[in-house]
Amino acid sequence: MRHYFNDLPKTALTAGYWLFVAYLLLPLTLMMSMSFKDANFIAFPIQDWTLRWYAEVLQDRQFLDAIAYSAFIAFATTVCATVIGVWIALVVATEGIFGRAAIFALACLPAVVPGLINAISMRIFIRVIDLPTGTAAIILAHTVHAVPFVVIMALTRLRSMPKNLTDAARDLGADPFIAFVRVTIPYLMPALLGGMIFCVLTSIDDFVRTFFLGGYKPTLPMLIFAKVQGGMSPQINAMATIVLIATALIGLYAEYLTRRARK
Amino acid sequence: MQPVVHFKNVNKYYGAALAVENLDLSVEPGQFVTLLGPSGCGKSTTLRMLGGFETPSSGEIFLDGKPITKLPPNKRNVNIVFQDYALFPHLSVGRNIAFGLELKGLASDAIHKRTSELLSLVKLEDFAERMPDQLSGGQRQRVALMRALAPNPHVLLLDEPLSALDAKLRQQMQIELKSIQQTTGKTFIFVTHDQEEALTMSDVVVVMNKGRIEQMGAPDTLYSRPQSRFVANFIGESNFLEADVTAVHGNVATLDWDGHVIHADVNGNRVAAGDRTTVALRPESLYCLADKPGDRLALKGRIVRRVFKGAHSALTVQLTNGKELVVQIDPVALSQLHSDDIWIGWREQDAVLLRD
Repeated sequence: MRHYFNDLPKTALTAGYWLFVAYLLLPLTLMMSMSFKDANFIAFPIQDWTLRWYAEVLQDRQFLDAIAYSAFIAFATTVCATVIGVWIALVVATEGIFGRAAIFALACLPAVVPGLINAISMRIFIRVIDLPTGTAAIILAHTVHAVPFVVIMALTRLRSMPKNLTDAARDLGADPFIAFVRVTIPYLMPALLGGMIFCVLTSIDDFVRTFFLGGYKPTLPMLIFAKVQGGMSPQINAMATIVLIATALIGLYAEYLTRRARK
Repeated sequence: MQPVVHFKNVNKYYGAALAVENLDLSVEPGQFVTLLGPSGCGKSTTLRMLGGFETPSSGEIFLDGKPITKLPPNKRNVNIVFQDYALFPHLSVGRNIAFGLELKGLASDAIHKRTSELLSLVKLEDFAERMPDQLSGGQRQRVALMRALAPNPHVLLLDEPLSALDAKLRQQMQIELKSIQQTTGKTFIFVTHDQEEALTMSDVVVVMNKGRIEQMGAPDTLYSRPQSRFVANFIGESNFLEADVTAVHGNVATLDWDGHVIHADVNGNRVAAGDRTTVALRPESLYCLADKPGDRLALKGRIVRRVFKGAHSALTVQLTNGKELVVQIDPVALSQLHSDDIWIGWREQDAVLLRD
């Protein structure tokens, strides 16, 4: 015990940390436990447990459609953002290209522009270019938002890459394209995987851009939002719990992949 | 014989800065050629121009008589061993070596055969499946060498490949490199700033300074017959004597060195009586005597400093004309000197006139 009193600042720090973790996890735990409660009212105590809400959710056409739609948008966004992001990272990493710093700053701007501003400006923009609201518009907005993360992750990795690696590939008979595909891309892979998963998660999570640019078909956040408007229900808790677990698994898998690639 | 590599009047500028100036260099096939010089002398630039990673500002480069000045690296039949090895971290040892073979479009069994052949050449047969970061420095070095040799290049370029290794390993690799060069019969062009490396391995050493070739020749010629102050100083150590020529007989010049009469080899220089020149004298070419020799020329001097260096000692001797010479002396000879007052002599062919 002596140890704790001697090191008060350290103890305070540790205690503060655990308080924060509790604050972080308590609402989530609450939500998850309510999704198993066999009653329509969200309140303690829980007398009976059930999986009924999950069964209902998983048979809910609306919910499954929204998931499929969100997944499709996330996939398209990831593909576009990865291609554009890697391209920009390569430009920024190449010496002797005019305005590299400006290109980098502009590419990163969408990461700091407030989502609402971004969404409104995109809404005006698609009107100007005569693009209807809907899937294409959503993908466009999500891509703009996701590109900076790919650029930053790819660039960080690219900067740690020995320049001799591509030289060696060229020396051994590879033209610039083959050198890029066979040496640069594999070297970037851990960063790309991380960036891609980040794209997927931000796209699935996005509400405000989708809200401004979407058509009649709801994505997952929009569906949940619409349902919440009609009052909280255990069904929503079950939906949210499924989303929480799925995204947590994706995140952990990404971490595992990058760790393995680094070894 | 047609030179395998020929630099014809090559210049390279970076902006206004000169990297290589008026380079004319021919390399005979099967030779181990070393480009030796301090950092910034243009040796690496020369190598990179040959590899295709730098383009000359002017001049032509020929490989096997064909101009390659404008060809990209992948179209040249030369391969480089990079200073930091540049092994592909995501490929196994075997796949690293196979990289150039795959790009040549070889069949997979031919690739496999060549890869294992090369691995056994450096006794790394059991390492084909290892990843580069699981290898020691010396093993990486060997893999990089085999990867560059795999596509069977006409010339192998080596850019200071031993500089990252420790002293013991470096010596071992010097011997190994030389023997691989002899077994394969390939032309090696090796870049280094380490004179010992250059002297140990090379058939021909090209000493470079400030973008120009100072002197090229066999290691022993360079060592015993340096033509410039730079070469005499960069390879080994030298005493420099500024003296006036008083007479020339055949290859031997008689000089007046601040009141002392000395003899030196003219070393191919055209000199006449009255010219002021510099004579280079190796510390190990000088010998010390306790008494004045009757039959030879010797100069009287006094030991002013002794530095013990293990196998030998370095004595600084002040002569009666006030000049100092550094003498390298072995322990046996040193024990025969009874006092600090001694006589110094040398064979006249060991003193060479320099052009600057």
